[in-house]
Amino acid sequence: MEAKPSSSSPSKFVDQLVVPGDVILDLSNMANQTLKLGGGLRQDGDSICAMKAGKLRFMKPNKYWVESSQKRYVPSAGDNVLGVVVDTKPENFVVDIKGPALAFLPVLSFEGGTRRNIPKFEVGTLLYVRVVNANTGMNPEVSCMDANGKAAEYGILKDGYMFESSTGLSRMLLSSPPHPVLEGLGKKLSFEIAVGINGRFWVNASQSSTVILVGNAIQKSESLSLVQQKIYLEKLLKSIQ
Amino acid sequence: MIVFEFLCTLIGEHVLLRTIVGFVAPDLVELNLEHQWEKMEQKLANSLTMTVNEKKFVENALLSDIRVDGRRPFDYRNLTIRFGSEDGSSEVQLGQTQVIAFVTGQLVQPYRDRPNEGTFAIYTEFSPMADPSFEPGRPGDSAIELGRIVDRGLRESRAVDTESLCVIAGKLVWSIRIDLHIIDNGGNLVDAANIAALAALSTFRRPECTFGGEDGQELIVHPPDVREPLPLIIHHFPVAVTFGFIGKENIVVIDPTHYEEAVMGGSLTATLNTNGDVCAIQKAGGDGVLQSVIMQCLRIASVKAGDITSKIKNAVESYNTQRSLRKIKRHNPSSAVSNVAKHHAERLTLGANEVCVGNQSNEHDKMSERNSTTKGVSGGLASWDPNSQGVDADAWRDSLPCATPLDKYKEESSQVNPETKSAEQFSDTNSFASTHEATNIVSPEKQSKTLKDAVKPKRKRRNKSTSNAHAS
Repeated sequence: MEAKPSSSSPSKFVDQLVVPGDVILDLSNMANQTLKLGGGLRQDGDSICAMKAGKLRFMKPNKYWVESSQKRYVPSAGDNVLGVVVDTKPENFVVDIKGPALAFLPVLSFEGGTRRNIPKFEVGTLLYVRVVNANTGMNPEVSCMDANGKAAEYGILKDGYMFESSTGLSRMLLSSPPHPVLEGLGKKLSFEIAVGINGRFWVNASQSSTVILVGNAIQKSESLSLVQQKIYLEKLLKSIQ
Repeated sequence: MIVFEFLCTLIGEHVLLRTIVGFVAPDLVELNLEHQWEKMEQKLANSLTMTVNEKKFVENALLSDIRVDGRRPFDYRNLTIRFGSEDGSSEVQLGQTQVIAFVTGQLVQPYRDRPNEGTFAIYTEFSPMADPSFEPGRPGDSAIELGRIVDRGLRESRAVDTESLCVIAGKLVWSIRIDLHIIDNGGNLVDAANIAALAALSTFRRPECTFGGEDGQELIVHPPDVREPLPLIIHHFPVAVTFGFIGKENIVVIDPTHYEEAVMGGSLTATLNTNGDVCAIQKAGGDGVLQSVIMQCLRIASVKAGDITSKIKNAVESYNTQRSLRKIKRHNPSSAVSNVAKHHAERLTLGANEVCVGNQSNEHDKMSERNSTTKGVSGGLASWDPNSQGVDADAWRDSLPCATPLDKYKEESSQVNPETKSAEQFSDTNSFASTHEATNIVSPEKQSKTLKDAVKPKRKRRNKSTSNAHAS
């Protein structure tokens, strides 16, 4: 890695593709520092190696993690996801969030929720929820309230259509600066969109054709580079006129 | 009792039961309930969870004639047909659905009641990587149904000629096995599997068998490098077209994706060929539809069947061209030949329609007639067809039962003579085909030596024998 023992020496793999087994940092060269390792990294004695395939990210002063895109979602606390109700139990709703296990939504975790005003969700209801805790091996728990107990934007999503994507595309849609296709379409068309980090996004508009256009455009733009996205967007907008 | 009921209302029946039984046999209860919950959870997690939004949306969008992926109600998704390196393997991609088909043949005893017909069977495998709800092991209902639909389309309509698969009546026939593997389930598996089966059957080649040995009774199965293997005889292509009925008004969509399959109320699969014959119809349960709707579906299906048939035929043609090119290059890598090869390839593509579609015949007596008819069209083509070489030499041999080997070679060489001379004139005219009976493929393979060979029959005989040994 870096020859000179500096206080903070970012790995030369930052912002590049790594595969499982790549040693990204050799701790024996570095002075006493605290590093924060995020997902996809593992410490093996003196070396930090990647466990997942993806892009290595670094944030100052000392955070490293691997960003990868999959179809399956691994639940982690604090994520905002789109869930579908698959069953109702006395104590909680069973919600599918595209993870390895179904999540539980307690019937009381709504703003001002009491035993008397439990919402009636039928099977197949689309919800925007927050993951409260997700320990491996246990069913994750989700909630329709934010950390302060307010409803925020969580709850049922009516009408519209839900599209599937990969987790990478969801992250791109939620990033700032905003996704070019999303921004470009937003300037011309009016629609509302809810993005779940679990690889699902929901679009609603007054006309079905708008919903279909936006959803398909976003799905197609995942595999295009920035330049190609701009070209695709231009062509699309021209054809709408 | 009353206490029990009271407690029930307070707590929750199964919880109460659990606590009571829990005192009696704690481990058993724990295990049983947990197990039930896990099984249910697994089933829930594996099946496609459709939201109410999606169902309503799909129906609403269809009222304005658009579908979720932007297609119109009667548009098919993109169809790609690819072939594997072996004869008889194909891969079909219809949108996101991917199916692989393999065709293999084996010599077996025929059925007692059909002693002079070959058999064919279809096996389907729904790979668990195609869909989370597919389980490994025994095929489920949908797998069996898919196999039945494809089988019915091919068998009832007699698309595959089984009588030509007979080798020794009553003793040995060819048994063709079609394996369909579903790799990715994007909806409409039936259509994709059907196309894959047809494409694989069109490119499958079975080894040639002749009678030989000391008494002429022994059956020899020739390996493909000794004798060119033969294609199957397929009379027509039965193409399956699937329709889905969505919503209360039963709006018809063609080629449903798997999201549409989850919301549709019923489906209908019609198998037709380009001649307008209806080979099979499958409508298993689901919403009832009007008779007029079914007739409309059949009309649309015949149009789509024509499109798909032409796509399959084009794909098979280009595969056959490449295959023949490969064979020429293998036998004669010299540059002089490659020009001829290129020219042959052009001729193939020009006249391919007539040849490829109608020429899958391996009957010896038909061969000469066919040759004479196709000669007018593209004589050089027919005479160059790699398939016909082995068969033709055989027909030739059969037609001269008492000819000695020497005579045979002499006659063959004499036939080859004008053949090879005119071989050089391939590029010039089309009408040189008039005199050759023996469609000699050997000539293009040794283009570089033709002139000398034509002049010296003696040397040619030797070359002919060597080329016969390693002829394709």
